[in-house]
Amino acid sequence: MRKESPPDNNTARADLIDKVTGGAVYASDIRVPRMAHGRILRSAVPHARITRLDVTEASALDGVVTILTGEDMATLAQIHWGLFLNDRPVIAIDKVRYVGEPVALVVAETLEIAEAALDLIDIDYEHLPFVDTAAAAIAPDAPVLHDVHDAIADFYFTGQAKPVAGTNIFQKFGVSTGDATAAECDAAHIFEHTYTFPGVSHFALEPHSVVAAFEGDDLTVWSGAQSPTAVQKVLSRVFGIAVANIRIIVPFVGGGFGGKASVKIEPLVVAAARKAGRPVRVTLTLAESMLTCRRLGATMTLHTSLDKTGKILSKRATILLDGGAYADTGPAVAAKAAHRIIGPYDIANLEIEAKAVYTNTVPGAAFRSIGGPQAVWATESQMDEIADAMGIDPVELRRRNLLPRGGEILDTLRPLDADIGDMIGRADQAIMNLGDGAAAGIAVAATDPGILPLGGALVRVLVDGSIIVMSNSVDIGQGVRTVLREVVAKMLNQNPNSIQIANPDTSTTPFDWGTGASRSTVIMGLAVEDAARDASDQILALASSVFDGAPNDLRLVPGGVAHGDEFLPFQDVYHRAFGVDSGEVVGRAMVTPTRDGSDFKKSPLFWETAVGACDVDVDQEIGTLSVTRYVGVADVGHAINPSGAEGQEEGAAVQGLGHALFERLDYVDGQPVNATPIAYRVPAIGDIAKRAHTVLIENGDGPGPMGAKGMGEGGILPVAPAIANALARRYGIRIRDLPLTPERIWRALRKRGDDAT
Amino acid sequence: MTSSTHNISMTLNGEKTNALVEAHTLLIDFLRDAQNLRGVKRSCDMQICGACTVLVGDHPVSSCTMLAVDADGADVVTIEGLGDRDNLDPVQEAFLEFGALQCGFCTPGMILATKALLFSNPTPSRAEIEHHLSGNICRCTGYQKIIEAVESLAQT
Ligand code: FES
Ligand code: FES
Repeated sequence: MRKESPPDNNTARADLIDKVTGGAVYASDIRVPRMAHGRILRSAVPHARITRLDVTEASALDGVVTILTGEDMATLAQIHWGLFLNDRPVIAIDKVRYVGEPVALVVAETLEIAEAALDLIDIDYEHLPFVDTAAAAIAPDAPVLHDVHDAIADFYFTGQAKPVAGTNIFQKFGVSTGDATAAECDAAHIFEHTYTFPGVSHFALEPHSVVAAFEGDDLTVWSGAQSPTAVQKVLSRVFGIAVANIRIIVPFVGGGFGGKASVKIEPLVVAAARKAGRPVRVTLTLAESMLTCRRLGATMTLHTSLDKTGKILSKRATILLDGGAYADTGPAVAAKAAHRIIGPYDIANLEIEAKAVYTNTVPGAAFRSIGGPQAVWATESQMDEIADAMGIDPVELRRRNLLPRGGEILDTLRPLDADIGDMIGRADQAIMNLGDGAAAGIAVAATDPGILPLGGALVRVLVDGSIIVMSNSVDIGQGVRTVLREVVAKMLNQNPNSIQIANPDTSTTPFDWGTGASRSTVIMGLAVEDAARDASDQILALASSVFDGAPNDLRLVPGGVAHGDEFLPFQDVYHRAFGVDSGEVVGRAMVTPTRDGSDFKKSPLFWETAVGACDVDVDQEIGTLSVTRYVGVADVGHAINPSGAEGQEEGAAVQGLGHALFERLDYVDGQPVNATPIAYRVPAIGDIAKRAHTVLIENGDGPGPMGAKGMGEGGILPVAPAIANALARRYGIRIRDLPLTPERIWRALRKRGDDAT
Repeated sequence: MTSSTHNISMTLNGEKTNALVEAHTLLIDFLRDAQNLRGVKRSCDMQICGACTVLVGDHPVSSCTMLAVDADGADVVTIEGLGDRDNLDPVQEAFLEFGALQCGFCTPGMILATKALLFSNPTPSRAEIEHHLSGNICRCTGYQKIIEAVESLAQT
């Protein structure tokens, strides 16, 4: 009998160590033998017919392998693809719809040659009228970007987009309860305000990168993809290859935030590899990634009616989202924005309509809390405007309308599982602890993550007691590996350092829906927990034959199985059970909507809640704003990896700060004028609040392992409105358009001065 | 596309290295492709983000905008040369301890920039840390834990 080894707790370290030594391999680090390099020629015009595309001279350049253009699309099984609407060609075919759309892909021996060949391609356009704002896109005489709307149902998300034929509207989503119009008749006050939120870039530091290689009929793709099985499914449709013949491998990913979710450049690179007859790698520049996807911009008008005590009677909202040239997951963004604009308030009468429209701009896509920051910007700014107009303290106005824990934001959704009032109290306390008194601005949010409970995992307990966990949850920096390792370690009572988390690989690993919407901790957490339990049951059954005891006298201990004070390493259990000093036990599990012991019927599985509180300082001469104190509060159920959870909140808050103060993808005449890392500003280290604190609330009441809820998105939600509310409180100016640039602040200060005189 | 080639020699991660490079080869390409040092990360490619930072002498340099020939004769250190798993540099250790990284793509550059800061100023204030690391963008962490990690080094 041997000694049990003590468990070791420093698990996050194992996942991070490769990243501090330069050993971590990212998608853009992948090299395969015989690989050629691709560069993309992109449309320089917003909307046009391609009248001539001549690649003769470019093809003749020494070292050019092949050039992929729209002409090559005819041989595909399916030319247009999408997640909600099959609207996007693999590469532009006779028409371009935005500046940056790929029109040709040169494959060459070296990147330099590919780059040189780009200059030799001749292209002529017949310009078409274009729309570069959502408002222009819904004007009666607007040019229509897509002649047909091929909506697909339940393809990757449940449900179906509702486009309007003959228009640019690709999604219309409504929420209606009670009777808002009647409620307005009884109201003491009605407020109407319009808020705007611009399209913003993900700016993940690693640009999109894909390597595609065919071997006979088998296709292998290395991609920094957040949803490997979505990529696999779309490739299967486009190229007519069985899902089983498509292998998606995801190495480390240098930031995702939704910008690498669903499917991005994979079909394009695979088409090039197929034509080239050899492996092709395309790594975008960061500027090209900015032309690949962005957050949907929004214009939101709110009509809110209240009685004289400050109780909200009704809310009507229209949300117009700029979805860019292709829908991607924009339909889901619109649906979520419609839910998320309600807020955690008790409002009996709601009339909300969200529309997402095509424009001749970079395609919109998922971005940390889809539709959330936009909706919360509007709702939480307006709460303060109403409070101000009615002479009620903004926190008090919220308290009069907040739903309690268990209250229903909509009766079709799961009741609220957090106490927002308590969270406000904790935010107050935390900001006081930072010194200089109460917060100048706060904002709250409750969002319903759109989580499909569908994901599997394998837990393999090997003969020497080392363990491999196979899951398609992608490490985008959110720390999922640490979470999964903790869960398995706990379930199997093993040392976390004996557990390896394998890279996502669709050829060896069960289906998972994807990494996003704060779902991995809950869904993959439960899947690996179930798989570990399955492994444990099998091992104990094996051991019971060895020990000659019933399985319930046996227990797993680090490195093996114990029976009373007897201890047998896994190796000996397997040896005696299998007859050789070899073998393994494979635990498996698939979490589905009908999982035993889970209540997954109602959406959301949990609420992602947030409170932000801050104070600001403005240099009134030049209009620059700095956030002097910031507190974020999140109810996470249980933080399996506390430092990681805190880091997620801090990172989300600083992305929110960027959205609030700097970020906007600008268009002038259909041209993206700042879609480069030089012209587009994201927060730098000196921009963050000098005093900041994150509060994590842990009541162990989430649906995930150990009572965890998903998290990582909520922290972005309250930042912009909290800052704008602080700006209004401290300086008497209300700005309804993001970002809060020095120019806007300066002008508002001047106007305030003029109004006062 | 002919271009002149040059013999260069440098001390790379402590070892004498001779190579033939083309005049227009960027240091980042030389390091990543010819020397297989993929811990040098490429992001903005225009000296904005600092992901490609390496040490040339004691100075932090954006390898995306420096020519390899200009590193002739220099002492160049990439993240691979700083410390390995079993023998981490204190800066790497601090980043781990404080959880000062998420996706890790900015991390090699951030660590080397920190290293350079501590060479020139072993006890930087928060303002000095912010000033010195202002050319290193991190989109994930929100910088809070990076500041804590660097401050912990400044105190020792
Ligand atoms: S890649 Fe060199 S500074 Fe960004
Ligand atoms: S950790 Fe991802 S960019 Fe810094």
